[in-house]
Amino acid sequence: MASTSDIRDKLRQKRRAFQESLVRVRDDTQALVSMAMDVNRDSAMEDLAGEEEPAETLRRSLKAQRQRRKKKLLEEMAVEESQTGADEEEMEDGEEEEDVETSAVEEVSEVQSIQQSRGRSETEPETESEAAARSFTRSSRDLPPLPMSRPSSSISESSMRQRMREKLRAARSKAESLLQQEVPVEPASRLQSLRDRDTLTRFDRETEPELRHVPDGDSSEILGKVKFREAVRRVRIDAQREAGIPTGEEAYNFFTFNFDPEPEEEPSKRRKKRRPKSEQAEGGQEEEGEGEGEEEPEEQEREVEREPAREDDEEEEEERDEEAALVRDGEEDLFLIEQSSQDFLEVRKAEYIGYNRRVQRESELLFTPSVRTVPASNKLPDNMQPRYLEEEGLYVGERPVVSLTNENILENRILRQDQATKWFGDDGRIIVLPDPIKESSTRPPLFHVEGDLDPSLQTVYRKAIKSKYAKRYMPGVGDTQGDYQLDVDVAGLIFSHHGLFSREHVLGARLAQLYDQHLSRQHKNLTRLLTDKLSGLRNTIRNMLELHGGQGLSEITQQRIAEYKQEVKITRQMRDAEQEKDRALLKNIVKVWKEIKALREFQRFTNTPFKLYLRREEVDRASDEREHEAEILAEVSELQAESWEDYEKKVTEYKQQNEEWKTWKKKQKAMKKKKKKKQQSQDEEEDEVEEESEEELGEEPTKPDPPEEPDLDAVERQVREKAARIRRKPGEPILVPELTASSNITPNEQCPRAEFGRRQDVLKRSLFVKVLYNDKEVSRTDSRALTADFRVHFGQIFNLKIINWPESIKLQVYETVGSSTTQLAEVFVPVPEPSILTGSATSEQLEFSSNQRVTFNHEGVGSDVPFSFEADGSNRLTLLTSGKLSCCVSWAIGEDDIPLAPPMTHASAGINSGIMQMDAIACIGASGLNDMKKLGKWAAESRLDPNDPNNASIMQLLSVVSGGEVTVPDYFRLEQLQEEFNFLSDEELDRSRRFRLLRLRTQEVAEFRGYKFVPTLEREVSEKVFQDYEKRLRDGEIVDTKEHLDAHRALVAKYLQKVRESVVNRFLIAKHHFLLSDVVLEEEVPTIGGPGAGVLGLNLFKLAEPKRPLKPRRKERKKVTAQNLSDGDIKLLLNIIRAYDIPIRKPQASKPSVASKSTRSVTETFTTGHSSQTAMQGTDWPFNQVLVRPFVEVTFQRTVLQTSTAEGPNPCWNEEILLSFSAPNGDYSTTSLQSVKDEVFINIFDEVVYEISEAERERERGGLYAHVERHWLGCVKIPFSTIYRQSRIDGTFKVEMPPVLLGYTKENHLVSDGGYDIVRNLTEGAFITLFITIEPQLVPGETIREKFDTEEDERVLLASEFFEKDAMQRFPDRPCLTTVIDINGKTVFITRYIRPLNPPQELLDASPNNPQETMELVARYVSLIPSLPDSVSFAGVCDLWSTCNQFLTLLAGDEEEHAVLLCNYFLSMGKKAWLIIGTAIPEGLTAYVLTYEQSRYLIWNPSNGQYYGQYDTFCPLQTIGCLINADNIWFNIQMYDAPMRISFDVTKSKFWKPFFSRAFSYPGLSSVQPEELVYRRTDKAAATELQDRIEKILREKIMEWRPRHPTRWNRYCSSTLRHFLPKLELSGGRDVAEEHRLELQSLLGEYRISGFPLHLPFSEIQPIIEAVYSTGVHKVEMSNVEFALAVYVHPYPNNVLSVRVYLASLIRTR
Amino acid sequence: MAELHIIGQIIGASGFPQSSLFCKWGVHTGGAWRLLSGLREGQTQVDFPQTGEMAYWSQPVDLHYTTKGLQGWPKLHVQVWHQDSFGRCELYGYGYCHIPSSPGHHRLQCVTWRPLGSWQEQLAQMFVGGGPQLRSPDLIYSGADRYRLHTVAMGVVEVELGIILRHFDRYGIES
Repeated sequence: MASTSDIRDKLRQKRRAFQESLVRVRDDTQALVSMAMDVNRDSAMEDLAGEEEPAETLRRSLKAQRQRRKKKLLEEMAVEESQTGADEEEMEDGEEEEDVETSAVEEVSEVQSIQQSRGRSETEPETESEAAARSFTRSSRDLPPLPMSRPSSSISESSMRQRMREKLRAARSKAESLLQQEVPVEPASRLQSLRDRDTLTRFDRETEPELRHVPDGDSSEILGKVKFREAVRRVRIDAQREAGIPTGEEAYNFFTFNFDPEPEEEPSKRRKKRRPKSEQAEGGQEEEGEGEGEEEPEEQEREVEREPAREDDEEEEEERDEEAALVRDGEEDLFLIEQSSQDFLEVRKAEYIGYNRRVQRESELLFTPSVRTVPASNKLPDNMQPRYLEEEGLYVGERPVVSLTNENILENRILRQDQATKWFGDDGRIIVLPDPIKESSTRPPLFHVEGDLDPSLQTVYRKAIKSKYAKRYMPGVGDTQGDYQLDVDVAGLIFSHHGLFSREHVLGARLAQLYDQHLSRQHKNLTRLLTDKLSGLRNTIRNMLELHGGQGLSEITQQRIAEYKQEVKITRQMRDAEQEKDRALLKNIVKVWKEIKALREFQRFTNTPFKLYLRREEVDRASDEREHEAEILAEVSELQAESWEDYEKKVTEYKQQNEEWKTWKKKQKAMKKKKKKKQQSQDEEEDEVEEESEEELGEEPTKPDPPEEPDLDAVERQVREKAARIRRKPGEPILVPELTASSNITPNEQCPRAEFGRRQDVLKRSLFVKVLYNDKEVSRTDSRALTADFRVHFGQIFNLKIINWPESIKLQVYETVGSSTTQLAEVFVPVPEPSILTGSATSEQLEFSSNQRVTFNHEGVGSDVPFSFEADGSNRLTLLTSGKLSCCVSWAIGEDDIPLAPPMTHASAGINSGIMQMDAIACIGASGLNDMKKLGKWAAESRLDPNDPNNASIMQLLSVVSGGEVTVPDYFRLEQLQEEFNFLSDEELDRSRRFRLLRLRTQEVAEFRGYKFVPTLEREVSEKVFQDYEKRLRDGEIVDTKEHLDAHRALVAKYLQKVRESVVNRFLIAKHHFLLSDVVLEEEVPTIGGPGAGVLGLNLFKLAEPKRPLKPRRKERKKVTAQNLSDGDIKLLLNIIRAYDIPIRKPQASKPSVASKSTRSVTETFTTGHSSQTAMQGTDWPFNQVLVRPFVEVTFQRTVLQTSTAEGPNPCWNEEILLSFSAPNGDYSTTSLQSVKDEVFINIFDEVVYEISEAERERERGGLYAHVERHWLGCVKIPFSTIYRQSRIDGTFKVEMPPVLLGYTKENHLVSDGGYDIVRNLTEGAFITLFITIEPQLVPGETIREKFDTEEDERVLLASEFFEKDAMQRFPDRPCLTTVIDINGKTVFITRYIRPLNPPQELLDASPNNPQETMELVARYVSLIPSLPDSVSFAGVCDLWSTCNQFLTLLAGDEEEHAVLLCNYFLSMGKKAWLIIGTAIPEGLTAYVLTYEQSRYLIWNPSNGQYYGQYDTFCPLQTIGCLINADNIWFNIQMYDAPMRISFDVTKSKFWKPFFSRAFSYPGLSSVQPEELVYRRTDKAAATELQDRIEKILREKIMEWRPRHPTRWNRYCSSTLRHFLPKLELSGGRDVAEEHRLELQSLLGEYRISGFPLHLPFSEIQPIIEAVYSTGVHKVEMSNVEFALAVYVHPYPNNVLSVRVYLASLIRTR
Repeated sequence: MAELHIIGQIIGASGFPQSSLFCKWGVHTGGAWRLLSGLREGQTQVDFPQTGEMAYWSQPVDLHYTTKGLQGWPKLHVQVWHQDSFGRCELYGYGYCHIPSSPGHHRLQCVTWRPLGSWQEQLAQMFVGGGPQLRSPDLIYSGADRYRLHTVAMGVVEVELGIILRHFDRYGIES
């Protein structure tokens, strides 16, 4: 506040000037007051209009007053200052009143002009808007405080004014615009007011009452008052905003001095005085007298002034400006102020009490203990001498350290208390306890070396670890087992050729290479070795011969000598070869060296430091020759002996052969004689013998030639020749080459230009090596310059901490020339075995080469460029850049000598238990523990640390096992007293049934899985619970043949059972593996639109949809997890809608006349004859007009429900059937539900009502008149597992119907010609429309997501994963299958299953001319193999695919096995066939076969041998996901997936996405299928036997099912049927029906017969019984019923059996 | 044929420097004990408490033992781990407590500790996480000369267990 003093001065000056001016411009002000009133009134008007804020108005009015004041001042100043300014001012004065808006601008400029005139040009010219925008505080701060010598107030004033003007202008401009709108007359009146003021005042006064006469004038006035008060506040606030100027005191003085000569009390008095007045005013006095006004201003002014004085005193200058004006123009409005808070307040100065006084006052109240030492006498009781116990020899302990001052203070204080003395001891000091602080710390510092700590106490620092899940990570990483580290040591590289090699280099490299070879050969010295061996062998033979003296050689010795000789022969040959090689090498070295020399001479400079010395080793010529000769002789003799031996052998052989030949000749002669005999006799035996003999003789042996005698001289000649070729000549010195790098390289200066260029180029090159791990660059070496000898040394070791399985380690060699870098070569380094560790690993030389073409214009030979050493350019060579990279990759060794290598096994991580990370049991399974070998193997593989106490038990166990005997262990037992304190023995514990039950349940043993409620009491657990389990354990090995009728099948069943068990056990572990989604159920976040189901968007859209109650829609039901379910909660809902093409009854001829019909020819039409007959048989056939009255019966879990009866061949029931479902053992877990084997049987029956014949009516008088019979027409079987998996089944199904239904016929039987036409399929068979679902909807179990072991290439697996994921994303409802699990639980790529395989030959032979029939036959053969869904056998596990031979051995399999087999058969038959993976009803996800035949596609259902055209409406295949053949998989990416709407052209990439494409070519996967299938011929006798057994069993069963009625068998009929069945089998169930019917008709004319043949594949007897039972033939309860039963088992190759059962019920009609 | 049934939960942990914790736990018994049913070890989820510093796991413990002797009464041992913002896990504490031997409802507080390690390790831990761990976690519940181990006190794991004893009185054990 530098400016405060200035301002103060200014203020004082101003004040004085003002007082003067007050007197001077008395009248002026008078006029101004009226003006202000005018403005005020204006504002009031505005308020009435309600458009202006009250405060604003008031402020404006005040400002207006100030404005006037200021103008006066300016006028004064103008006198002092320049004339122009004053002129302007005056001019403005007039103008301002007229146009307020412009005035502001002018004022600003005026101020500026003033400032400029003073020579102060700092203030920048401001535009109007700028000025308005500025806050007041800003502008005041902007003004620099100017020390002024002249007594002038102009600067601060002008700035103040300026601000005020701005304010005013802003407000006024607003008001003005309003006024102009509302009271357009006003400006005129104002103008007037300026001209003649008197009239103006009057005018004002006149207008006022007018205004008051407005209906709510009162309120307006009050409003005005309020406004004022508010305005005062505003003023204050405004003032506050301005930078504070004088102090409060000054302001106070200022006000009191100038305007308030009276004492302080005065205002309060006045206030009192005024109050009644204001009350009066409030009381409704409308007229406010002018006289009062005279008095009031004074007051008013003070009032206004006092306020700022009290509170902020900042704007006193402004106040002062106002003050003058207010005195006069406050008039009416201002005295209206009533109470304001200021009225009750007064200002007092702050009270202050002096320091001394305060201290004095405080001392009266407070006690401050003195710090002086208290004399001992005060502390002790009177007349007592202080007594020092310590001096008396008593132990007193050490006093804690307390500062003397504190002690004194304490003592002084205590002394003032009562009983002060009790605190003091005898020695006059305060009683204290001895110092409790110990001198030394209780816990001694531990000075230990890490080593001597107990191993169990040792800690190890582990980094914060990330958990890993992906399978590609190594097991154990991230766990405590630690990291794995690979050390890659890149030592350096040597080029064997480089583009920059000169010719000499090329030769040098070659020389070096040869020399290396030589050295290595020398090092091995094979020649020497073999020579020694040879002589050794020779000696041995000689010794042996000598020992025995050439005679009496035992058999064994002879044998041995022969062996030795053989050995000698081989060794000699090998030695010769080696010697030859040695010599050739030496020759080559010399040759190359000579070339180098020649080249050096030619080019006249040396490039390489190579120099070859040939060291001569002189030999003793004589001895050498001797040796040489001896050697040759020895060899010659050996060879001679050998050849002689050979000759002898040949001679004996010759003799033998000759002998044989002779005998054969004789035999032949004899034979000829025999043949003559045979022709005469017809005996079969003879025939056989003859055949045998012919076989025996076989082909005619050739007449042997006698061997030649060996040429002994030739042998010697050969040996000598050879020796000359491969051996050193005798006496020739031995040459030993020595390669040194001692030759001088010609310095650069002496080289020709081209060579110089080459050398320069070499210097520019530098190389580095990148290390790539799993195709990711992990590091690179420094760049090293290429040296003149083309060797680069890196010598860097990279430590790679790895978490991924090492797949590849690659080193890339890069060459840098200048700034460009090129990759020279890529070297793959094999991933080291875990046993290769750093330190022990040897460096490897890895060769590399690059096919880069490099040419130079200097001496460098380039790479991949032909060049020649010859002058004429012949003999061209092309060399590629190549070299050797020496490096070494090994596993690092950790600090504590633990190899940081992963264990070898790829063992899939089992359950990672919380705390134990390497658990033997988790790794090899509990069963492995019993298998010591396995355990040992595991221990070796997992590199168990034998010193780890964790493994101590296993190690000991292993040592015991490997030691073979149990030694007395020298361990000590921790719980040695346990035995004594045991409550009971283990045996007793084992005996507890309850515990056993609990444990078995926990172990999830099949019988007890999901067992609920184990009783609490021992006695409540019955022994029976374990019966099944124990029986199973006991019966483990016994094969029950009775159950299976067939030993082979029994074994197969056993095997299947075992596979199932092992698989289930494997998956039990996997089942406990949870994903997040298994545990956390997260509702999908509603999304608007987007891919997939935009839940929210769709629902929003639905809201807008019109309601259509007549078109109900299926709502998505909420799925129920199968946890809290109990019996009866689950219902099976069947909606049987309608059926088509139900066979209709054929009027039965019951008259004997019909019998004669059988004699008629087959060609005669049946129907015509019958139509007439039916009419005749009116009485016998009461419901004649009705063709058929079918109803549906549904059987499920022993519940039988049926629909009402409909009529006609196309009945419509539309009935809902509710069946309750109960799970086995009440276990509703997913696993258990998936393994439910129950099937839903939907049988269609015909309800036949017979009237009881007259005779019987007689007997049963008043009884029944009609008899209801039901005839089975067909059935549909749907396994519960399918319904469970699909959650709903909806569609039209083909009804399985017997090929012949006695008494029924198809309505419009269009006889097919057997071609592949659509009509045939449409008309054949009946169809039923069903809807089946489970209520409530259950969540189907998921397949196991376990990763299986695999032998597939990682690349293929990754690709398949990607392929499947991609397919899943694009078409979530199309199945895509690339890998499957084989029976061993390994993942196998699916195409491996497809391979052409031969079908049984006899099927092919059956109809060789009709390929179509053969195909059908093959399909039927495949369909005859019983079907066994995997999901049932391997409860909730997964689909296992067995190969075709496994399938044929097991004789049971899923759809996919059938499909694979069928597809393979078709392929081998030369058809185009694919496997279809798709969904079908009712199977769900399934496999079909697609063939391409006669330019059309056929879809084969492998499970029943049916085929469908592509456009067949009743094809059960609904969705096609992918096609598979032996070398590719195609995924359907067409818009539709129904077979009818898609194209099967797999070559179109728009429709089918291939798995193996150009980008990822087919790697040629070998098939898992066998080369060919071998079929066993089925034993016909066994089939017959089986046939008899089945028949017998069925007969017994039917009788058993009819306990209350006698069951009569019609033998005659049975035998007829039996004859018919084989025919049926041969024809495949077609085309024989009519014929058969005729046959029957003739036989059984007097019977009403209903029956049908059933056809089943044979697996076990139980399904056959079930099938027979479900037809309900036995339910006929007529007393005179007879039955006929025939069974035929047709054997197909490989024990595939087709069972046909013919069942008929006959009722004698007479 | 005495039976011990332990039914309860590991409620959570508090007092650790960070709150995003999970726990590996196990129950260790002597040789005389046989597990009838239940899982004897497990690992909880990671809890990131939004409010408060206590991490709640509410991990159910449902174990059924039978025993032929009193030796080796079950002990519950825990390892508290912390998962940091990078998803890395580091050890925060070991602790164990005896399963109460009186029937009824018990609320246990299992205090935990952590090996301190050398100053270098402490420094490393401060900056890069991780920390010293016991080479053999058996030490948690087995008594060795543990006084030589430098440890830091960590937080408390709260456990709530209901204990049912059965037939102990047959063998003269009053409960």
